[in-house]
Amino acid sequence: MSSLYSETILDHYAHPRNWGRLPSPDIVADSDDPSCGDQVHLEISLGPDGRVAQVAFEGEGCMISMASASLFTEHLQGKRIEDLEGLTEEEVLGWLDAPIPPNRRRCALSPLVALRAGLTAYRRAAGG
Amino acid sequence: MLDVEQIRSDFPVLSRTVHGYPLVFLDSAASSQKPLPVLEAMERVYQEFYANVHRGIYAFSEEATLAYENARDRVASFINARRREEIVFTRNTTEAINLVAYAWGRANIQPGDRILLTEMEHHSNLVPWQLLTQEKGAQLAYLPITDDGLLRMDLLDSLLDERVKLVAVTMMSNVLGTVNPVREIVRKAHAAGAVVLVDAAQAAPHMPVDVQELDCDFLAFSGHKMCGPTGIGVLYGKEALLEAMPPFLGGGDMIRKVEWESSTWNQLPWKFEAGTPAFVEGIGLGAAVDYLKGIGMENIAAHERELTAYAMERLSSLPGLTIIGPPAHQRGGVVAFIFQGIHPHDIAHMLDMEGIAVRAGHHCAQPLHRRLGLTATVRASFYLYNTAEEVDRLVQALERAGDILGR
Repeated sequence: MSSLYSETILDHYAHPRNWGRLPSPDIVADSDDPSCGDQVHLEISLGPDGRVAQVAFEGEGCMISMASASLFTEHLQGKRIEDLEGLTEEEVLGWLDAPIPPNRRRCALSPLVALRAGLTAYRRAAGG
Repeated sequence: MLDVEQIRSDFPVLSRTVHGYPLVFLDSAASSQKPLPVLEAMERVYQEFYANVHRGIYAFSEEATLAYENARDRVASFINARRREEIVFTRNTTEAINLVAYAWGRANIQPGDRILLTEMEHHSNLVPWQLLTQEKGAQLAYLPITDDGLLRMDLLDSLLDERVKLVAVTMMSNVLGTVNPVREIVRKAHAAGAVVLVDAAQAAPHMPVDVQELDCDFLAFSGHKMCGPTGIGVLYGKEALLEAMPPFLGGGDMIRKVEWESSTWNQLPWKFEAGTPAFVEGIGLGAAVDYLKGIGMENIAAHERELTAYAMERLSSLPGLTIIGPPAHQRGGVVAFIFQGIHPHDIAHMLDMEGIAVRAGHHCAQPLHRRLGLTATVRASFYLYNTAEEVDRLVQALERAGDILGR
């Protein structure tokens, strides 16, 4: 059977980390892929030092997109805005610890798509 | 009965393995595999008499032209068209429908007119009409479906008011599998003064299609879903309608005489075939039509009916599996389903790991999926080369996927 469905992915899908919403997030972001229905809603609160203090997500979609979003929230903790902006697709795929075939990359990258949309809105609101 | 083992030996790709398993190909509704006679017919053109059609004086070009135009005759006979002039070669079903929306639609649709579609249309029989009605200030209306995926025929009369100028309907749904009562729709639409276009992309490969019996005005289908190559499709149109329509694409081959300021058009069907046509693919489609006719469309339809009934029976025995659409006797060889809350992409992926090819997603019918309250489904579709053993492999693989991913 497929190694794509690794223990990490199955675990994060069955037990998503940081599920829910934050009281007053600084960054709010959504991704919505109409072709498969993957939806990721991401919220981030920044601490006084400007680093990521809290992350939460909610969503609906395939196992890869949901597990990726759950892992994503864990890896964002403590990062600076610049780190978030420099985040690459390969880094995000690496966190899944499984070979992601080309036709599933989009699923795995949906939290990154959400984050990028959120960062753009955040910069715009900050006048930057 | 079909000799499926004999048929399978005509399709070289079916003997390959995927991820170490023998391939089980259950995605023919998207595009079918190709038998040797089709591959050989096309190879023969390239190796023996390839030259551009219609204009060459030399023997080669004459041979290519004859073969291409001969394919048109066979396609005309395949759907029982009255005349070869009624068969326009296009790229595919989508282009055939766009041709009608552009050439017939722009000349005949006025502000306030209506085009009646159904809730089960593929995007290709939906978006061209959206473009047309938006441009013309006309409207779209939809014949609803039941929760079982059947057309609400009881509502047809009331929807067919004097504003409706065209009815565009699929003969068989690519998601629900539903085979629609096209003949009755045509009769009612004609009585109401509307023209009817039939999307036969799923029907022409799988069941007998007789345009004279249906009495439809336009009918569209694709070569690649019926054992033919990609890049070749067919628009059937009644001669009088095609004759009255302005051209679609302008260019070479579709003209009679070109002046600096204006031109006159070639006769049917070439008026609608601008530029060098996909004539090798057209010849391939001719071979595909011969192949299907040799087996018999009734036989193919009967084989698929049997396989579909078996698949639906086996699949519905799986706990947590819901089949979308009507019972087996009202559908063709398409079975879409959802399973244990597992996302269709995950299911398709797990099946692929065992060499089973199915499709997952909205199957180019987003409004239909919204109507059904779904974002995506898994679809298994059958053709003349599929077997009951392959259905068993599908069911067994689904059981394993449920064990691993179900919750």
